[in-house]
Amino acid sequence: MTQSVQPSSQTKSVSRYLPSSLYLDSAYYEWLTTVSSDLSLAVVRAPAATQQLHEEIVQLLTLEARLLDQRAYNVWIDLFTQECIYWIPATHPAMDPRSTITLEFHDRRRVLDRVDRLGTGLAYSQLPASNTSRQFSGVEVWPSPKCDDEWRVRCSFALVESRQGRNRTLAGWNGFVLRREAGSLKIVLKQINLVDSDYPQGNNSFFL
Amino acid sequence: MTHDKNLPTMTSPLIKMGNSDKTKECTSYWDGLIQGDRVHRSIYIDDDIFAREMNNIYAATWVYLLHESEIPNAGDFRQIWMGTRELIASRDDEGMVHVFSNRCSHRGATVCRTHQGNGSGFTCPYHGWKYDVKGQLFGIPGKTAYGPQFKARELHLARPAQVAIYKGFIFATLNAEAVPLPEHLGAATRFIDDWISHQGGEDNIQLAGAQRYHIDANWKMIYDNAGDGYHVPFSHQSLLQMTKARYDGGDMTYFADADRSKMHLYSLGNGHTVIDQRPDMYDNSAWEQQRPQPGRECFEAHVKETLDPQQAKSVMESAVGAGMNLNIFPNLLFIGNQVQVIQPLRADATAMHWHATRRRDADEALNTIRMRTQEDFPIMGEMDDAANFEECHRGLVNSPEDEWVDISRHHETGKDVVDEQGIVKSPVTSEIHMRAYYAEWKKLMVAEPLLTVNKSEAKP
Repeated sequence: MTQSVQPSSQTKSVSRYLPSSLYLDSAYYEWLTTVSSDLSLAVVRAPAATQQLHEEIVQLLTLEARLLDQRAYNVWIDLFTQECIYWIPATHPAMDPRSTITLEFHDRRRVLDRVDRLGTGLAYSQLPASNTSRQFSGVEVWPSPKCDDEWRVRCSFALVESRQGRNRTLAGWNGFVLRREAGSLKIVLKQINLVDSDYPQGNNSFFL
Repeated sequence: MTHDKNLPTMTSPLIKMGNSDKTKECTSYWDGLIQGDRVHRSIYIDDDIFAREMNNIYAATWVYLLHESEIPNAGDFRQIWMGTRELIASRDDEGMVHVFSNRCSHRGATVCRTHQGNGSGFTCPYHGWKYDVKGQLFGIPGKTAYGPQFKARELHLARPAQVAIYKGFIFATLNAEAVPLPEHLGAATRFIDDWISHQGGEDNIQLAGAQRYHIDANWKMIYDNAGDGYHVPFSHQSLLQMTKARYDGGDMTYFADADRSKMHLYSLGNGHTVIDQRPDMYDNSAWEQQRPQPGRECFEAHVKETLDPQQAKSVMESAVGAGMNLNIFPNLLFIGNQVQVIQPLRADATAMHWHATRRRDADEALNTIRMRTQEDFPIMGEMDDAANFEECHRGLVNSPEDEWVDISRHHETGKDVVDEQGIVKSPVTSEIHMRAYYAEWKKLMVAEPLLTVNKSEAKP
């Protein structure tokens, strides 16, 4: 499991930027690109999750969607592991984020930058804020290779956004990596694949 | 406010008129709209003015299309735009770049329906007319049905009157009389060269995908803001506050009292301008000033392990932007390490393409952190700018009696300094950017350019 690779150098452990972000090294990127291509594969996967696990995952995704609709970002971020990634590719399928720009690609620290920026009340793209309502369906779950505490998940989503009386629909599919930490399921990766990611986007300054 | 009596009434015939004997009348009309320190709202919202812009600005002067690295290999092609005109750029087997309209010579269907690709040419999906990668017609199904009159016609895909490349940046114009591209770039050339040097030279630049945005506002709102050193502490207050709270300050804080900073705004002629942030950004270390991006610590450790301190500084600064907001009228904006392209769609809608860049000579670590850095401002800052552009547009549309857009900041303070080349150096919050490009805009809008395309065989 490459995501557990520890920083090799002592210099990495000192950062004046808190929370420090020491996990996004080349091994982590390598792991991400492997996961990303697995998530987008057009294959038939044998149902692997138990009914109980499947329900637990659907509950987590439901909670995640609801907290975003409520713009409760400081609660929402706690659904993620410390070493997490929020990723909106600018292409479909996603290209390697090491060599190609994305629409958004954040470690936990930059997610928190965004949360805090919105929290100032002075982010004019969210003044007034967007109201959103999300639906997701078609949840598929399969285990990460050689892991008994980590799963990969895909689902379709449709998101209606309403701001200043104008409604927009965003749609696509989400890819997740979920891991059990201290008994509870957490999100390691959320990859948002918009159906029109390579076309001009509107004001997506809320979290998708 | 009452209607300004001095302003000619807006009528379509005035705008569309093509007779040079009425130029004087026409000049006074445009003089009414573009005054020294204010411009009329109609230039942002009027459909007839937009239609004229698509000819007089987005065809009659040099328009940026794409970078050579977007079509690196033989057979590569890509859809591009000159304003609302859709074209294709391709590369042939000899490595030459070709630019032609995406419009079949037969009945007008587009021959290319994907953003980009690689192939040996284009076959029109409607009746199967075949064009090679240079846009030359070489096959018509059932050709015996045509006679000598038809066969005498030039039916290759239409090429702009002029196409020229400056250090990898490809431009075109439909105006055969347009001055040569180097003359058009003029005093901006030195800054373009500086930007290219920051990327390690012209052969080192590779475009690396794009973030594309749709904005419900006139295209000039985006150009207005590209040279606006005034808005930063207000429009981007959320970003500055967050950066202060989380990291005790960082990039762009020097815009807080910008006129007292070391930065300047330069008007370079032909509508081109630059905000040169480098004196403040690179004064100490641009890398140290920068807010942390994902992977910063790993990248820094990697650089410090593998390079000597001087090399390390230069590599880390390559991850940061070039320190310029360099605006090449009408549609090419160098911002940070990005190449931003304005694509007008309608009077009230614009697409904006932020092309990222990577370096051919960089290792994976540097190019990766460049991606993370270039993603930062669009979501942290550009969204707030875009919201303001849309609200400007709404304000102009919704209050017709309030006619003027004010561009008089530092117009009367006597702070401008003109050098021997004619470059005007101004305080960084000056609205000279708008005054200067609107002078160019007016000159082009008054003109009656002859727009031409060429359907003959492509030159070898």
